[in-house]
Amino acid sequence: MSASPADGTDPTGDRPATPDIHRPPSGSLAARQAELVAALVAGGPPPPGFAPAPLAAARAALLRKRAGEVARHWPLLAAGLAPHWPATFIEWAADRPSVGGLRDGWDLARALHARHALPALGAEELAVREAAYRYDGDAAPRRRRRPAVGRAGGAVAVQLAGRVRLLRTAR
Amino acid sequence: MTGPHGVGIGWRPEIAGFVAELPGLRFVEVIAESVPAAGPPPDALVELRQRGVTVVPHGVRLSLGGAEPVEPARVAHLAAVAELVAAPLVSEHIAFVRAGGLEAGHLLPLPRTREAVDVVCANVARAQADLPVPIALEPIAALFDWPDDELDEAAFLSEILARTDALLLLDIANVHANAVNRGTDPLALLDRLPLERVAYVHVAGGAEQGGFYHDTHTDPVPAPVLDLLTELCERHRPPAVLLERDGRYPPAPDLRAELDAVAAATGFPLVT
Amino acid sequence: MIELAADFDFDTWGVPSRTFLIIYLVATVVVVVGVLIFRRRTLTGRSAPPADQLGPQQVAYLTGGEDRAVWSSVSSLRSQGVLGVGPGGELTADGPLPTGATPLDQAVHYAASQRCSARQLRRTEWVTRALDQLRDGLSRHDLLVTPERRAALRLGTLLLAVMVALGVARIVAGIANDRPVWYLVFIVGALAVLTMVLFVRVPRRTRAADAALLNLRHRNRHLAPGSNPAYAVYGAAGTAMAVALYGTASLWALDPAFAQQADIQRETVTGGAGTVTGDGGTTAGAGGCGSSGGDSGGGGGCGGGGCGG
Repeated sequence: MSASPADGTDPTGDRPATPDIHRPPSGSLAARQAELVAALVAGGPPPPGFAPAPLAAARAALLRKRAGEVARHWPLLAAGLAPHWPATFIEWAADRPSVGGLRDGWDLARALHARHALPALGAEELAVREAAYRYDGDAAPRRRRRPAVGRAGGAVAVQLAGRVRLLRTAR
Repeated sequence: MTGPHGVGIGWRPEIAGFVAELPGLRFVEVIAESVPAAGPPPDALVELRQRGVTVVPHGVRLSLGGAEPVEPARVAHLAAVAELVAAPLVSEHIAFVRAGGLEAGHLLPLPRTREAVDVVCANVARAQADLPVPIALEPIAALFDWPDDELDEAAFLSEILARTDALLLLDIANVHANAVNRGTDPLALLDRLPLERVAYVHVAGGAEQGGFYHDTHTDPVPAPVLDLLTELCERHRPPAVLLERDGRYPPAPDLRAELDAVAAATGFPLVT
Repeated sequence: MIELAADFDFDTWGVPSRTFLIIYLVATVVVVVGVLIFRRRTLTGRSAPPADQLGPQQVAYLTGGEDRAVWSSVSSLRSQGVLGVGPGGELTADGPLPTGATPLDQAVHYAASQRCSARQLRRTEWVTRALDQLRDGLSRHDLLVTPERRAALRLGTLLLAVMVALGVARIVAGIANDRPVWYLVFIVGALAVLTMVLFVRVPRRTRAADAALLNLRHRNRHLAPGSNPAYAVYGAAGTAMAVALYGTASLWALDPAFAQQADIQRETVTGGAGTVTGDGGTTAGAGGCGSSGGDSGGGGGCGGGGCGG
């Protein structure tokens, strides 16, 4: 187990902490590709000339795909939200570019926790992750070296020497 | 080392036990980005290699169609994986997956313009310079088109293949998806593609949703896609055909039946 | 030996040190070899069947005892769609028993039809009987070491303890006589350590069982939770084997909502980011199966043991 990045799908380990948006000359292919991606994943305005319906279908398909990826990283969160998963994820993620399945799910779990909408299973999963990893919301989560306690919605998890125990469930 | 031959299946950790039990299997694909460049490859893949199964690394994040030059580190990774599994070739897509610092999370279509052809050819040349084996390029399924297309699909692909000495990875399900969504004739496309350049063929499942055909890889392979596969083989049978399945896996008998259907449609021997 | 040989007067117990040492050493070797041969023969498991003839529930019993055998059966029945869970966490039998069901499957299915909770299963008489049957079969097939045989092994170790005691007595006497005792101390010390190890380490499984499990783990690596296996592909037998080898983490991965509602024990849940061990800290209802009133922890409310602020 490597300490980071925890997201196993991309061993080249990219995913900048904050998207560095460089601006190529407008009208160039680079600029138009950037506009298109922004429209598809970051709530940007639709680029001129594209048919709206197919673009909307592509956007929806991308969100569904992302929801599936996040569910693979956060199976308990997704199961806890069922049958409102993936709708819950898609609503939350609509204007947020992906930062990878692990971090997307983490950010969503924290957001749900903040508004007391995190289901018990998701709370337990979040507590376990918080105990095992240090995640500041910006950079890739890092495995904690020291003992730590993770809490979420009544669930309490304790990590000692890399082993995480769920002390209390979140009922 | 031999090129891909016969019916193959996309190797995924989720179904590794199923793939390992296919007695006649000679060919699998592995998502290149899922294998660490420093190795080792997953044990199950190593065992397949020892059985003489050809493993082809399939890249999904190179972004050969990106307006920015392809990232050398990504090419190096693909090259390393090719060496690790002693692959006879690698494959990637004619698409872009990121722009302006944002990841799209999926393969996006290029405008079918001469400028885009130049971009792809330049990136393919950069990749080829650092790859130890040939590369096969896969045209994608696009849900939308750019407003400024100058070329049709056949002309666009033929031009790229003519200017690079890349092989073609023809995804027959993508041909079907694009034909349905654009209202074009898939057979007309097959008639105009350089089929002798096909290294192997992808086949995958999909579903209609909201008036579009989605190439989901999580649904069964529909009959029209298998029919199209047969049409392709009647024109020029490719050396190999590979079933891609990426989720919502069915029970093993269903998956075997799908592999058998692919074998039947292409005339290749059964692998199950 | 030279200084020992020089001490010919005042022999402890009237036996010269050198003579005692030689006799003691020979006796020790004989006893140790005897004990080890007996142990080896008892633990080898010569008539054990090959690994591929072991069913998931047998494997589960070997890896994790009665609990895991029950969870393996539960996962098999659940993946075949014949086991459900009610709002109070009580199990339900949702269909007829599938063909090929084992006696344990039958018992679990019946207990579910009587609305037992998952945690009560093991204590029901039907499941207990099926587990006894399972255990007896494993003992008969030289996979499990019976309690009688384990007791016999411990008894054999007592012979070594007697040798240790004799050696200690000689050392004490030797020290009292002001004789050098270092050779003996060394031998007795080593023997004491060996005795302790053999006494404490009396395995539940035969070596044949250990080898079979190693083989099965290797052959079923694709079922490890880390591979995120597609349980649908591997079917009920594959799912049951996954639970047998890797614990209830597989059941949680297969069907988290069911696992939560049925209060399935959490053993090791790996979710790509960290390992969870431990039991949810919930308590099983004490009442008999089917008692609707005594059920705690139903719905989303707070009732059972583990609830707090």
